[in-house]
Amino acid sequence: MDIAKVREDVWGREVIAGVSWDLLWLVVVAAFVVIIAHIVIMLVLKAKAKASDAGKRLERHTPFDRWFHWVTAASVFVLLVTGVFPIIGINFSWLTIHWIAGIVLTLAIVVHIVRACFWQDAMSMWIAPSDLSEPFDDAQKPGKYSLAQKTMHLVMSVLVLVVIATGIALFLQIDTPWWERSNAMTEATLGWMFLLHGLSTLALIGVTALHMYFAVRPEKLFYTRSMFKGWISEHELSANHDPARWKPSE
Amino acid sequence: MPAYDVMPDIELFQPVSVEDAAELAGRLGEKGWLLAGGQDTFGWLKDRAKSPEAMIDLKGIDALKGIRETADGIEIGAFTTITEIAENPIIKTRFNLLASAAAHVASPQIRNMGTLGGNLCQDTRCWYYRRGLSCYRAGGNTCYASGPESMNREHAVFGASRCVAVSPSDTAPALVALEATMIATSANGSREIRAEDFFVGPAVDIVNMTTLQADEILVSVRIPNTWANAEFYFEKVADRNVWDFALVSIATAMKIEGGVIRDARILCGGVECVPRRLTAVENRVVGRPKNDATGDAVAALATVGAEPLHQNQFKIPLMENLVRRALRA
Repeated sequence: MDIAKVREDVWGREVIAGVSWDLLWLVVVAAFVVIIAHIVIMLVLKAKAKASDAGKRLERHTPFDRWFHWVTAASVFVLLVTGVFPIIGINFSWLTIHWIAGIVLTLAIVVHIVRACFWQDAMSMWIAPSDLSEPFDDAQKPGKYSLAQKTMHLVMSVLVLVVIATGIALFLQIDTPWWERSNAMTEATLGWMFLLHGLSTLALIGVTALHMYFAVRPEKLFYTRSMFKGWISEHELSANHDPARWKPSE
Repeated sequence: MPAYDVMPDIELFQPVSVEDAAELAGRLGEKGWLLAGGQDTFGWLKDRAKSPEAMIDLKGIDALKGIRETADGIEIGAFTTITEIAENPIIKTRFNLLASAAAHVASPQIRNMGTLGGNLCQDTRCWYYRRGLSCYRAGGNTCYASGPESMNREHAVFGASRCVAVSPSDTAPALVALEATMIATSANGSREIRAEDFFVGPAVDIVNMTTLQADEILVSVRIPNTWANAEFYFEKVADRNVWDFALVSIATAMKIEGGVIRDARILCGGVECVPRRLTAVENRVVGRPKNDATGDAVAALATVGAEPLHQNQFKIPLMENLVRRALRA
């Protein structure tokens, strides 16, 4: 199975044309296997008692953060559907929807970066060396975000930034209401853009599948609820987080 | 061309029934190639731009040949030659639009060999693509025909989405005007496709020009009596009178009562990847007399939304003039 498709350019030279979409099925199978393996492991391990959602409600996600999450999620979902469906043979007029969703995602990410840098504690999402012992030490509880959540955010951030950067480069190669395609990029460069765009898309499919799986796991459902409603309970905080490292407001 | 260049090995299948051909098409999928009159196929093979592993020759299937009357019109086998269509008395009497379009296809020799199915399913004539370049339509990442220095005199002025190729079929606009239905068969059964939905633009499918799947065979075209004996007009403008593809063509079917147009279907070929239906013109001419004044009044509607490339702006006035000519008394 190849990673990249190779073609001849106009001069007869071999250039990369993009990702080999056979990898899509590899990603789908790999994500499925990981999820099944995790389910089995969790069934074998003794399940932790679920914390009660009764009691005082503490704010985990502000309305703005929740809006950002769901706008980002919706745009990524639309981008994946419009980008991948035509490849698997479901044809429709996808390109305009794709780049509009791309613009929405780009704007959302720009706003998020600016907000995180200047109005939020950006470091709360950064992986610190002390976080690395968290999976091996039952006594160590995380602050607002666990190591798993920080890792997911980091991986998603890298993938989304790559997909946006290459997406912008590819966006310049098509006609839009604001410009005519530049036709300036060489086929080799264009091929690399398609390859990186495709690889990051494939990785996003896998990571998104895992993200959605963890979002619906029973012991994590309160995080998903908090992404809808904004709050977690006092019991959920004390069972899963270190109140000394994270003091949410009511 | 290197000295060792010879015809590549191709496995040849010669089925004698539609069922066998459909089974083969399903089994071979993308590796197979349906061969009808060969007028598109042999160009690809001689240029070494396509190299199918296997070829399904449809010549031996009698069920694909001939023109039959049905309860509600006629049915034309996909293997019927263009000459047969151009000369068939039923078509000339009732659907002369198709006969006229067929008579304008290529040259007499090509019409003798070429089939209706081949004319409808033929690939675009964009020479960058036909040359074998790795453009969008060939599965690549770019369009060589739409750049500022490109030779794009023959290309699209409507509906371009990355690829700017146009449909080269002369019979396609006529069949859409006549509200024909295509019958496609595969090993899983048959399906009917409205002619209007049969052709597909690059926004939806950038590598195919029709909605036919790799395992499907176009077996026939049905033309209902809806437009039988209507007033027809077909005109093709090309650089040569014969053996050339349309720069722009027009196919119209009109029902005229008491000197007034009651219903109309007006299409242009050579301006988009699919036959372009001029619905704004159709709507405006209904209720008006067929004369120069009507033509002058509606001609500009034909080109609303056109986005010409730098070498094909001439298609705009050409389309408008063809609309005027189609509406002359």
